[in-house]
Amino acid sequence: MLRVENIKHSFKTGNEWTTVLHDINFTVNKGEMVALLGSSGSGKSTMLNLMAGLMKPTEGHIYIAGHDIVQMGENKLAEFRRKHIGFIFQAYELITSLTVRENVELPLVFQSVSPSVRKQKALALLEQVGIPDKADLFPSQLSGGQQQRVSIARSLITEPSVIFADEPTGNLDTRTEEEIIAILLKLNQTLKTTFIVVTHELEVAEQMQRTFSLRDGYLINNPPAAADAKSAEGGTG
Amino acid sequence: MKIRDISRMAWDQVKRRKVVTGLCMTGISIGCAAIIVALSIGQSAQTYVTDEVNRNFKMDEITVTPGGGIPSQGGGSGGAAQNNENLDPGKLTAQKLEIIKSLNHVVAAAPFEDAGYMQMLTVDNKIADVQVKATDLRTLKEFGFKFKQGGVTDLPGMVVLNYGATLGLIDNETRQKLYEQMGADPFNSDLMNQYNSLSVLPSEMYRQQVQLQATDYSTAEGKVKLSSALQVGGILATAEGTDDLRASYEKIMYVSLETAAMLTEQLSFGINNGMSPNVEENSYKTVTVKVDSTDNIKSVEAMIQKLNLNAMDNLYQQEMLKEQFDMIKMAALGIGVFILVIASISIIVAMTMSTHQRRRQIGIMKVLGANMGQIRNMFITEAALLGLLGGLLGVLFSYLIIMGLNKLVGTAGDSLNFFIPLTTIPVGLAFAIMTGVLSGIYPAISASRTDALTAIKRD
Repeated sequence: MLRVENIKHSFKTGNEWTTVLHDINFTVNKGEMVALLGSSGSGKSTMLNLMAGLMKPTEGHIYIAGHDIVQMGENKLAEFRRKHIGFIFQAYELITSLTVRENVELPLVFQSVSPSVRKQKALALLEQVGIPDKADLFPSQLSGGQQQRVSIARSLITEPSVIFADEPTGNLDTRTEEEIIAILLKLNQTLKTTFIVVTHELEVAEQMQRTFSLRDGYLINNPPAAADAKSAEGGTG
Repeated sequence: MKIRDISRMAWDQVKRRKVVTGLCMTGISIGCAAIIVALSIGQSAQTYVTDEVNRNFKMDEITVTPGGGIPSQGGGSGGAAQNNENLDPGKLTAQKLEIIKSLNHVVAAAPFEDAGYMQMLTVDNKIADVQVKATDLRTLKEFGFKFKQGGVTDLPGMVVLNYGATLGLIDNETRQKLYEQMGADPFNSDLMNQYNSLSVLPSEMYRQQVQLQATDYSTAEGKVKLSSALQVGGILATAEGTDDLRASYEKIMYVSLETAAMLTEQLSFGINNGMSPNVEENSYKTVTVKVDSTDNIKSVEAMIQKLNLNAMDNLYQQEMLKEQFDMIKMAALGIGVFILVIASISIIVAMTMSTHQRRRQIGIMKVLGANMGQIRNMFITEAALLGLLGGLLGVLFSYLIIMGLNKLVGTAGDSLNFFIPLTTIPVGLAFAIMTGVLSGIYPAISASRTDALTAIKRD
């Protein structure tokens, strides 16, 4: 589903090059829910931006659904993101002038989907994230947890191959955090959508199927997928 | 992305960003109003002046005078040699008039000899200065004249007056007294009002007897001659839209050629002092030809010129006016466009500000899959919408300005009426939308190039 190959990323500060990611390799299977764990400055956000096609790596390749996104131009990437990638932001990033339903529908607007289909899908997703009665409200009328639910519904509306969640519980209290993680886990199970959750919280990462740990730009923990581990055990045993 | 969605999003932004919308709309509306008002004033003035020219110079008429290579005295001086057309091929004879009448597209042709100004006296001693014109009275209707009273008559001694000649007839004593008073106190508004009201005072002239009076100014005592009694057989109606005051400025008495010959005999002082009719039989100084359409004027003129005659139309007046007003309209358009260009700077500034404020939103949209073209189209549509709204406001302003101008001109007592031709509204709106779109291009490109990652990054 998602394959990261030999990713290296550097940036220039003055006359010096600083490398923030060193030879990163990992694979996420379809329908998996994995965590990218790391402390501040570990390179996890850079990795997320690279996987989402918002940045180009200095070296390496990133394959999503068989497409190398590193080779794509800006408009092709936009089209690819529209079809294959969903985003959940730490600060929700809803458009304040649009209603909850309109916010959820927005990715479909860029795909020229008809209003009636958009509406139907948006309402169904709001139902799934537990806020069907908030459709006509504006984001400013919602709590942080509710806004994050809207953000989750918006990320799902295009039925993407993979959803990137950047610190999805970073702005929430503990109780709401648990609710949001529970929603994500449930959606992963029911929709079989691949989730990559970037977090610095070990408690969040522990609830995912696998956790990739980054430290100072190095991938220090790359556990095999459950299926791979099983076949490996079978091979040796 | 559907046009409906782009338009709705643009409309949402226009509603939401009231300051930006207000700034842009104000700029565009001023520019649009400037264009509409400038074009309207140009068009109104052109219409007004053209109407005036048409009223004074009939565009479908040709004035024919004697012509040809050999100098001609026309019919004015008489003499056996000049009566022989072989010796004066440019002479305007009765035979040539008949040929002209038979030409294609000619509606009417008749001599209109100007016999100068004379005093007309009524039986009750009222007096007015009238211009005497000798013509074939039977053709008056063919020339488009309408009779208010009476009709065509060619009996000797019968005359036709225009409506203006029936206005302002005052007895000589009162007139002299009023002139003297006005001469002594020229700024007296009461006297001026009295004079104006007397100038438009109508008199019943139909079937009345009048006389013409000629004065010999070459002698010190100013010898006076009176014509025999003439009878008013018809009163002409005024042209549409002419008020009494304007009609009173033009007092004309139309007489038949036979009556003119009789008056020449009765009022001549032996010299042509320009104040007595002088018409020679079978040749004319001036013939007026009415043509069915202005489009055929030139072809008829060419035919007439083949008869060794001079032909002159009034179309050059229209062409001259058209050239002048085209220049005025171009200048007005230029001023309007200049104002719009200035206005567009305000739009560029406001929209660029707006783009900067919305960078984060643009970034989110790009992350959600909006491409550069979609972002650009959203901003250009928004700019076009601002242009349209500004244009509509500009149309409203134009009507208010034109209303104000009409009130201003109305109070000055001028008959000039400003109006907004319907064709100027789409022109104004098109310029407004175009300004909006052109001004929105830079902000739209700038917005579409926003780096999504930089835009959504939080410090």
